Amino acid sequence: MKDLARLRTSVKESVELALNQQIQMEMISSSKYLAMAGWCDRNGLDYSAGFFYKQSEEERKHGMKLFHYLCDQGGTAYSPEIPAVSQEFDSLRSVFEGALDQEIAVSDSINRIIGICRRENDYATEELLKWYVREQVEEEYIARRCLELIDQIPADQVYYLDKKLASVTYDGNPFE
Amino acid sequence: MTSNVPVTYQEVFRTDRGVVYQCDASNRLILEFWDTHTQLSARDFAQFRRMVETVDIRQMALSTAAEHDVEILTPPRSERCYVLTLCEVVHLRELLTGAKLMLELNAMLRECGCTLSE
Repeated sequence: MKDLARLRTSVKESVELALNQQIQMEMISSSKYLAMAGWCDRNGLDYSAGFFYKQSEEERKHGMKLFHYLCDQGGTAYSPEIPAVSQEFDSLRSVFEGALDQEIAVSDSINRIIGICRRENDYATEELLKWYVREQVEEEYIARRCLELIDQIPADQVYYLDKKLASVTYDGNPFE
Repeated sequence: MTSNVPVTYQEVFRTDRGVVYQCDASNRLILEFWDTHTQLSARDFAQFRRMVETVDIRQMALSTAAEHDVEILTPPRSERCYVLTLCEVVHLRELLTGAKLMLELNAMLRECGCTLSE
């Protein structure tokens, strides 16, 4: 008897479901970052706004990368439902704390999917997800460094802080 | 229900209420449930199974509202429409879950160079 599911796609159903959940998570991240960018823009924090606009675009690209992968492999990628996200924040610190929380949640989710791939012997998807692992190391570093800067730079130097936050990069990424 | 089954149909799983066949000639799965007969691709079969799995049978059991007496399900790319009571949802779920298990077993056997049946 033919294995009809395998003829259609190399991606197992459990991996397909997990990747669709990840696509949704990336798109929700994009929406959250866009809300953060909007808040920063409204409060005169132009550099931080630019930083979050860029992050929002990146998260969408991450989601689309998985979306295209699933389609190319013969799987079913679903356009995700995006729930409403918070538009208001207490402070710049709470914005960056939210960003770090989101990045940690994404990292945990990627690790969980790699566990599923290993259980299903899906080495191709695992190989793709290794790119996300490296990306998350950088994303978490940047969010943590921004929170450190908020602690280190006096609260009355808002313009300097805003400019400094947007310039944080991870130059010492050991995976590159 | 099982009379006049085409020779290309191979039985995947059977319960008292229905049967799932696979047709290697057309690469379709055939769902026989009560007196209905629906041909589905592997993708559509998986999607329909998930639709049936996600029916909130607890709400159907506990709610007194008429709208929760039946569940209306339409398999993808099919003109058929299932209007199912709570018991029928449970029976259909049992059939589809059993078929899923047997299809997974077939996939595992094929990986080992064997087949479920010929």
